[in-house]
Amino acid sequence: MVKFENVSKKYSNGTEALKGVNLRIGKGDFVFFIGQSGSGKSTLIKLIMKEEETTEGEVIVNGFNVSSMERKEIPFLRRSLGIVFQDFRLLPGKTVYENVAFAMQITEALPKEIRRRVPMVLSLVGLSKKADAFPNQLSGGEQQRVALARAIVNNPYILVADEPTGNLDPETSWGIMKLLDEINQMGTTVIVATHEKSIVDTMKKRVIALDRGVIMRDQEKGLYEDEDTNNKIRN
Amino acid sequence: MKIRTTKYVIKDGVLNTYRNKLMSFASIIIITASILVFGIFLLISINISSQTDKALEKQSVIEVFCDANLDDKQIQDLEVELRKNTNVLNMKKVTREEAFNRLKEILGENKKALEGYDGSFLPVSFIVKIKDPNQMKSVVDSFETIKGVEYIGFLEKDVAFLTSVARWARIICLILIIILLSVSVFIISNTIKITVFARRREISIMKYIGATDWFIRLPFAVEGIIIGFVGASISFVITYLLYGVMDNQFNKGVFGDGFRLVDINSVIYYVIASYCCIGMVVGGIGSAISIRKYLHV
Repeated sequence: MVKFENVSKKYSNGTEALKGVNLRIGKGDFVFFIGQSGSGKSTLIKLIMKEEETTEGEVIVNGFNVSSMERKEIPFLRRSLGIVFQDFRLLPGKTVYENVAFAMQITEALPKEIRRRVPMVLSLVGLSKKADAFPNQLSGGEQQRVALARAIVNNPYILVADEPTGNLDPETSWGIMKLLDEINQMGTTVIVATHEKSIVDTMKKRVIALDRGVIMRDQEKGLYEDEDTNNKIRN
Repeated sequence: MKIRTTKYVIKDGVLNTYRNKLMSFASIIIITASILVFGIFLLISINISSQTDKALEKQSVIEVFCDANLDDKQIQDLEVELRKNTNVLNMKKVTREEAFNRLKEILGENKKALEGYDGSFLPVSFIVKIKDPNQMKSVVDSFETIKGVEYIGFLEKDVAFLTSVARWARIICLILIIILLSVSVFIISNTIKITVFARRREISIMKYIGATDWFIRLPFAVEGIIIGFVGASISFVITYLLYGVMDNQFNKGVFGDGFRLVDINSVIYYVIASYCCIGMVVGGIGSAISIRKYLHV
């Protein structure tokens, strides 16, 4: 599903965000990218969705060679992903229903199909009654649930979430994580970048820990902190 | 693009225009003002052109005097020869008798001097109206070469002066129209740019979700067309009403006798077409182009 081969990323200001990263994420995996700010976890997400270009190496996502793809192919890569952002990124001029439907409209889905799928995913995220509300009439948690509904409405192979609970209170964060877990159990690969220890420790999923652009640990059913890794980082 | 997508694009464009009321309203006001300034000048130009054309038309008459010794057959042949010129609009023959009566009128109280004469000593002439006043000199030159033509009377200096005035008036009006048109296009496209700039985040979100450039661009173009059309329509209504008031004042002779505005109905399609072109084309294309730099995410 996702393959990074010797991927390096250096920003124009000289910051080396990733250094020779190798990783593979399979179908149905649930993976946390963890690390401090500046560790490179958000850069990994940005490379997956082609928001940034690699400096070196190859990134393969859903069969797309992201590192060498043409600009016109980017929309098709992004449609195969469900993307959730820390700041929700909902369309302010559209209602909840329209925000979710928009993700289907861009794929030129049949109106009948849109009318069937959108209420279904809104029900899944518990927002059926807010379908006609605009984003500014919703709480942060509700907005993130709309973003989740939008991300899954096209049945993506991979759902990518960059700090999805970063702007939410702990209780709401848990609601979002439970939803992500449910989506994962339906077969979707879920990749979450986070620095929230409690969530990672409770969920016990695969953890990929980064530090200064290097993968320090890739562990199944991992915790946020690991004594060996901490020692390595300290040394 | 599929029909359902076209429907979506149009619906989304209309809905966005309505939902972004404040921005749409501000854009419409600016577009209305820009087109109005352009339109007023356009109509002034049309009127200046029309007045100079009318003045020229009055002077576009020449009188061709035949040799007094020509007989009727020769005069007839000469008439045929004159009519062959493609620049002749119409021709009126002035017989010797008519010329004599005209002379008597001109002499007035001194007409006694003509007692004992008939018109036989006067030449037959032709009053010729020229189609294009600018061609007057060439018509005169060609007539002068025809055998039997004695003299050609026309106000050469007046025609040359009026032609020159008309030409310069046209050039100046055209330059000013181009300047005003460019200013209008600049203002409208900048207004659209500001509208698009205010929604650049929305554009980037659409890109992140996987929308293609055209899927994002087209509803914006529809919005631009709607805003441009509404602005052009308001400008047209204001122009029409203002022109009506001005026309009324001219007809009452408030600004002096003899000067009448061009009938708005004779140029109405011209005005509508230019307004709609500026509003809708600049609005639509401006929107589609303005969003380009926000699509690179």
